[in-house]
Amino acid sequence: MNSNASKDDLLTLYDEQFSSRFLLGTALYRSPVEMCDAIKASGSEFITLSLRRQNPQQNDGDAFWQMIKETGCKLLPNTAGCRSAKEAINLAEMSRELFSTPWIKLEVIGDDYNLQPDPFELVIAATELIKRGFKVLPYCTDDLVLCLRLQDAGCQALMPWGAPIGTGQGLLNKYHLNSLRERISDIPLIIDAGIGSPSQAAAALEMGYDAVLLNTAVAKADNPVLMARAFSQAITAGRNGYLAGLMQRRQTASPSTPVLGQPFWQQHQGSNQ
Amino acid sequence: MSISSNIAIVGAGLVGRLLAYRLAKLNYKVSLYEANSLTTNKTASQLTAAAFTAAGMIAPISEALEADLNTYYLGKTSLALWPDIIRQLSLNGESVDYRQLGSLIISHPQDIAELTHFERRVKQLAEQCAAKYQILDTAQIKQLEPNLGNGFAAGLLLEEEAHIDNRQLMSALLNQCLSLGVAVFDNSVVSIKNNRVISPWQTQSYDWVFDCRGLGAKEQLPKLRGVRGEVLRIHCPEISISRPVRLMHPRYQLYLVPKPNQEFVIGATQIESEDTSAVSVQSMLELCSAMYSINPAFAEARIIEQNTNLRPALPDNNPQVLVSGQHISINGLFRHGYLVAPAIIESVICWLQGDQCRHYPSLFAFQEPNSV
Repeated sequence: MNSNASKDDLLTLYDEQFSSRFLLGTALYRSPVEMCDAIKASGSEFITLSLRRQNPQQNDGDAFWQMIKETGCKLLPNTAGCRSAKEAINLAEMSRELFSTPWIKLEVIGDDYNLQPDPFELVIAATELIKRGFKVLPYCTDDLVLCLRLQDAGCQALMPWGAPIGTGQGLLNKYHLNSLRERISDIPLIIDAGIGSPSQAAAALEMGYDAVLLNTAVAKADNPVLMARAFSQAITAGRNGYLAGLMQRRQTASPSTPVLGQPFWQQHQGSNQ
Repeated sequence: MSISSNIAIVGAGLVGRLLAYRLAKLNYKVSLYEANSLTTNKTASQLTAAAFTAAGMIAPISEALEADLNTYYLGKTSLALWPDIIRQLSLNGESVDYRQLGSLIISHPQDIAELTHFERRVKQLAEQCAAKYQILDTAQIKQLEPNLGNGFAAGLLLEEEAHIDNRQLMSALLNQCLSLGVAVFDNSVVSIKNNRVISPWQTQSYDWVFDCRGLGAKEQLPKLRGVRGEVLRIHCPEISISRPVRLMHPRYQLYLVPKPNQEFVIGATQIESEDTSAVSVQSMLELCSAMYSINPAFAEARIIEQNTNLRPALPDNNPQVLVSGQHISINGLFRHGYLVAPAIIESVICWLQGDQCRHYPSLFAFQEPNSV
């Protein structure tokens, strides 16, 4: 096997290829310069933004949007804050027009307390948006049946949560996430939300998840640029670990050098000399 | 440079007025241009300078956490300068409410992680620059602000922080400029070409032209942008709160700042947009629920103003003094106007007087003047 797998190991979303498996959000940075530096350090090629929280309006001279464009990244508008399929569909249409992109990160929130996706409205919205030609990346829970319904609706990639948005709790239900990965092996799965540290992102990739999307963990770090780089490295490490094939865990210790046949004085070297 | 230098200041917002006032006190000959009217009976909310919409907090620690150490040092310098400015104004019969009672940082139980994060960063800042803070329990919070609602288990007091009545200050500065002989030209939309101020009817040359137009300077500072902020002003006779209260929020810090006559300013959202339309329902709900949760008695307050304005910001959200020949632009004060303006202006005056050691070099940038 190629020892440098990550070079030609590309992420394919709706027939488009990406070499980075790190999708990054653009909210909560201390300044646009810091945001751009973090995006650069992350190596991300796909960045999310919210029409409701960052509104370019019709003002094309807006310096903030100029800076976003200059990152050269593909834009992934989201429907953050929507509570019904209808609302999300309308916002997706507005985003498509404003950002000239068919990509949409579909969020339909069902509970204000933990910002949990509303699975029922989500499927309705995804079905309609796919019909209208959107490339839908739905933010969903780790429920298997929901994920299958979204796939039936025509979604060619899914984004289950690791934990609720902004909590930094990591991969809360590894059993669910593992069975999801086992059952849905034909389309990319991206962990969206809940990732707080690079090790958690690495764990997601090691489990066979295709990519990670996050925002707060980088933007709210004391040093967002360094944190973006740390996540990028962790994601690469996790992916390479997955591709390389993880060893099986065992209950009992198994020395890496066989003990049998080794001269006794070498076995006790260090302690008995 | 001789003290008789002839100086133009374009833009009569906070920076323009304070600079005009300080230079006039130092016997410079000053002309102050403003695009809007300064004399008509417009209500304050109709005036466009962000300085009128602002809450008037001087909070170097709280703000440095969202900015950088330079902001903290500029803020500390300003805290040292404000009392003298206020004293000078009051000697001339202009009273401006200025109080240094600290500010209180609190959070709801469900946002306690935000408070913990804030506390951790304050500690780091304190290690770097000796910023002062106290950690408070419920009883201490109640003792400081008896009118705060229940349920605030932990908080921080940033004791050095201050707040100012910005509207009193803005009119006091203008009055003093006029009585010190500053030539004030309002309703004057002008453009600046190096040391010349050009209006439709005349071109005037100066020794120095200070461009303090905020977002009005966009043609000359293409990277300047506006960041939308929404603010409410309420009247509430039932509740007395003596210092600014900041409430942690996952997206932005919401604050309540007491003003004279039982008025309060509640702000501020921060949205990357140059949309100046009215306050959105979402923002109204967030601002109102923040104040309601500080004390449910605010439910009976009256909303007397709702304002939207744009903060002028450069890409790094830091202020900049850009010297280009005889044209000096002071811009990008973002959300930190009252925090940094006195320090920046003293720094600019030191630079103008050739005093190299007392200004902040990191504030200044230099570029070749356009050969127009």
